[in-house]
Amino acid sequence: MAETFQLPPTTIQQFTLPNGLRVILSKDQSTPVVSVAVYYDVGSRNEKEGRTGFAHLFEHMMFQGSENVPKAAHFQHIFNAGGTMNGTTSTERTNYFETLPANHLPLALWLESDRMRSLKVTQENLDNQRNAVQEEKRLRYDNQPYINAFLRINELIFKNPANAHSTIGSMEDLDAATIDDVREFFRVFYAPNNAVLSIVGDFDEQEARSLVEKYFADVPGQPEPPPVDVSEPGEVARTQETYYDKLAPAPAFVLGWKIPSRRTPNYYALTLAAELLFEGDSSRLYQKLVKGDESVVSIQGGVDERRGPSAWYIFALPKPGEEVAVIRQQIFDEIESLGTLGPSEAEMEKLRNSLCNDAVRGRQSTMYRAQRIAEYALYDGDPHLIDSELDQYLRVTADDIRGAVSRFLDVDNRVVLDIIPAALVEEEEDLSEAESSQRAGEAKQPAAPAPPVPAAQSSSVALPGAAQGGNGQVHISSQQPAETSKQTDSGPSPFVS
Amino acid sequence: MTPQQSFRQQAPAPLPPRPIHIPRTSETSLANGLAVVIVEDSRLPLVSYRLAFRAGDAHDPPELPGLTDLLTGLLTEGTESLTSRQIAEEVGRMGATLSSGANSDYTTVGASSLATFSDKILDLVADVTRNPSFPENEVELIKQNTKESLRQQRAQPSFLATEMVSRVVFGKHPYSVIAPTLESLDATTRERIVKFHRSKFLPNNAVFVIAGDVQSDALLKRIESLFGDWQPGELSKDDFPAPPSRASRSAYLVDRPGSAQSNIVIANTGITRTSRDYFPTLLMHTVLGANASSRLFMNLREEKGYTYGAYSSLDARRTAGTFRASAEVRTPVTGDSLKEFFYELDRIRNEPVSEKEMMDAKSYLTGVFPLRLETQEGLIDQLVQIKMFDLPDDYLETYRQHIHAVTIEEIQAAAREYVRPDQAAIVIVGDGAEVLEQLKPYTDAIELYNTAGKRKEKPAANSEFKSESHPALIVGDWTIDIQTPFGKNISATLKVWQTESGLTGSIASEMGDANIVSASLVGNSFTAALSFEMGGQAMAAKIAGEVDGTKIDGNISLQDSPELPFTGTKTS
Repeated sequence: MAETFQLPPTTIQQFTLPNGLRVILSKDQSTPVVSVAVYYDVGSRNEKEGRTGFAHLFEHMMFQGSENVPKAAHFQHIFNAGGTMNGTTSTERTNYFETLPANHLPLALWLESDRMRSLKVTQENLDNQRNAVQEEKRLRYDNQPYINAFLRINELIFKNPANAHSTIGSMEDLDAATIDDVREFFRVFYAPNNAVLSIVGDFDEQEARSLVEKYFADVPGQPEPPPVDVSEPGEVARTQETYYDKLAPAPAFVLGWKIPSRRTPNYYALTLAAELLFEGDSSRLYQKLVKGDESVVSIQGGVDERRGPSAWYIFALPKPGEEVAVIRQQIFDEIESLGTLGPSEAEMEKLRNSLCNDAVRGRQSTMYRAQRIAEYALYDGDPHLIDSELDQYLRVTADDIRGAVSRFLDVDNRVVLDIIPAALVEEEEDLSEAESSQRAGEAKQPAAPAPPVPAAQSSSVALPGAAQGGNGQVHISSQQPAETSKQTDSGPSPFVS
Repeated sequence: MTPQQSFRQQAPAPLPPRPIHIPRTSETSLANGLAVVIVEDSRLPLVSYRLAFRAGDAHDPPELPGLTDLLTGLLTEGTESLTSRQIAEEVGRMGATLSSGANSDYTTVGASSLATFSDKILDLVADVTRNPSFPENEVELIKQNTKESLRQQRAQPSFLATEMVSRVVFGKHPYSVIAPTLESLDATTRERIVKFHRSKFLPNNAVFVIAGDVQSDALLKRIESLFGDWQPGELSKDDFPAPPSRASRSAYLVDRPGSAQSNIVIANTGITRTSRDYFPTLLMHTVLGANASSRLFMNLREEKGYTYGAYSSLDARRTAGTFRASAEVRTPVTGDSLKEFFYELDRIRNEPVSEKEMMDAKSYLTGVFPLRLETQEGLIDQLVQIKMFDLPDDYLETYRQHIHAVTIEEIQAAAREYVRPDQAAIVIVGDGAEVLEQLKPYTDAIELYNTAGKRKEKPAANSEFKSESHPALIVGDWTIDIQTPFGKNISATLKVWQTESGLTGSIASEMGDANIVSASLVGNSFTAALSFEMGGQAMAAKIAGEVDGTKIDGNISLQDSPELPFTGTKTS
């Protein structure tokens, strides 16, 4: 696109405490609120075999109390001050965040520092949270159609176990976790030198800095955590599989590709290709399949952004009676066409404008900025990327997109995962042991749900409905023809005030 | 662990509060009655628009529920000068958004874009609002897709719970209907939509709210040129029947066999959005169940571990409202959860809340208030609500004062008035056979429904033993009438015959033909697995019925769809 866009610059002041904690302050007095984000450099990629689900289990432990904050008091303190909070876990990191009236900044720093320095890791809390996580898994994954299939696809795309397993992990591994494992995990990964603290909003910079020093300076540093190997060969682990889903009301399929790491030119190009293919009502596949042929109920996709090899997905839910193989071929053809002819002039203009629009609109929220800044500081050592990364996207040319699509959305690095309602099969034959143990959902509920949106890889701990981190690692767009946005819903919403 | 310092032992005091700047609005009206509210905000090069009409789902014609939703879904699917695709491409090209939607009281058309496109996106807002063409093919597509999503919604326990609560609490008031029916969708024609659009989308029934990097004067001129010649029309007054009052507690159990959880909602009528009791009721609701530090959550989740979350809700709309307490709980603790719910509902009525609880609730409400004004969208939400609910113009400025002014006595008075556990409707969506006995201690008046919303006498049995019986009971031809959730019945012919290996047969209906792949008769209970051929794919279905002489009564389900009840008679 060979252009740049002048974003309103973000004020950034950064410093590192002697214990290694990296701190970024971004002052903005537009609204008297403050957002605080703490990012720990630990995610499911750091989990060893036999200990999957550990990073996420630990995220729950972080709400179980510390030396001066009793169990469950964390969210009481935040709510009673008029704030919102949550935590999430992804492959890359575990984050904790809160937005509060600006004058409650000391409260946020007190809460975050107390658990960083003195988390209460007890057997009772571990047992309790292991149950909570298992309940969450049942509610959000095992009891939902299509979701477990969506987790399965990563195991087919990635060969390296560090990349392949899900953040929610396996029940057996969770059961195997001992109190010593958890204490060791805390010591190694929840150290100030393995974390970033970002604060965005209405505060005095001097005052904020001295508060940070007061609360965090004496948390002891630790030796660097062991390095992670996320390297991958180019080809996928397996190119084809059928998933029998007990909850799925209709056949569907997921397509997945292994693609290069975030912040590489090809990653940028493929993210833009995703936008052209399935983001929004003007995207190619929406216009072709949902509108033109009227053959699919919904088509969605996403890019799983990782520091190592990443992934690119499409999920399609055909209308009952439509030929699945035909729809799949149409999708391949459309990708091939983009990889041969590249995007049109009009599509390049659309990309440019939507990149700029999203970049500007997102930064209205202090929480959005706090999270992005923390992420760039943690992954790239450069919080200024919140302003400058846009230009890297804007520099991508039509030919870059064509080239990346033809090279990386190819057959060798592609997985086709068919999802078949298990009910269809059971009538005729018993599933083979191997297939049925492929974690088809176990729940008995008769059926399913509104249009399936596969879950992002991050899971949030504490609260349904609390402010979710806007930036899970898997960006999913949902396109439902009959849905209109219920932007005015605040009237009848149950939580109106 | 580091050595303890005294400042860590308790939560730090807040810093001095920072002033909240409530954004300045300027308001004017066009000659045709269109109200325009503008907030100039040039911090970011963005603009957001929302045009709102005082007509929502509650104003659907009684025989055509869902009409407003179809209408709003179609606005962006074609105008007199642009096709659906051209609109999508134009919006996409600008990297903008354009959408439309409705709730029960009002309808909006919203858009947002970079400031550079503020005029072009405004032109589109005007075009889709004033000149939608409702192309026949788009009308058909949205009807089809709405049917598909209805089918999926009906499998969701939360939808079933909301549907039943609305029905029993609102009675003849239009808020009782939350979704269209297959019948109403079939009955909706393009002409009806065009006529409805003409009668409801009137400038004198609307407010246009704009926030962002705009110049008021220039913007007003443009709005005048786009909307000035729009003719006002006659407005109808809301004249809805009041929700029924109830004298005693009763329960409505929606039987969803095999459900892993019970969705519990305890509800009674509440307040309208402009009630003078709004703020005391809001404080009461905050103490009782608004968030994760409220009483219901602390009791049912944190202490008892029955659920992932338990809340109350203050549903205050334009012409009526409800007060609800709800949770999704594990089936075996349904009764125990009711006990805790009623304990908390009685307690908030009978005992004054503590000073600390009230102060925490006030602090929560006044604290989250500025968070809502952080984005253009959040601010517009607030301004649109003020206009649509006829709240005072100084609502945002005085919000925190109103919160602070509420007293403990007023909170208890609100609880006594609007939390009425002895006259409440208990709605439970769950496994009837498991839930029924747990529910009995809380009320004698229990009505049982199936997931299609139809009354039934007893829950689906688990697996009662019955003796083998004679196949002649079922062998023969049956005409059956399948009730869909949407009012329209499907008729079918069921043929059953006996072979050496057992019962077999077929079913023929307008939905397609199926063969029986396995069947059994135990006592009077007939069950069969069916296989449909649909577009080259096999679809499984199940049928189960009780035979009584020449009558049969039961359920049929396609794949994992909800069961549809049927009745039938033997023809040969």
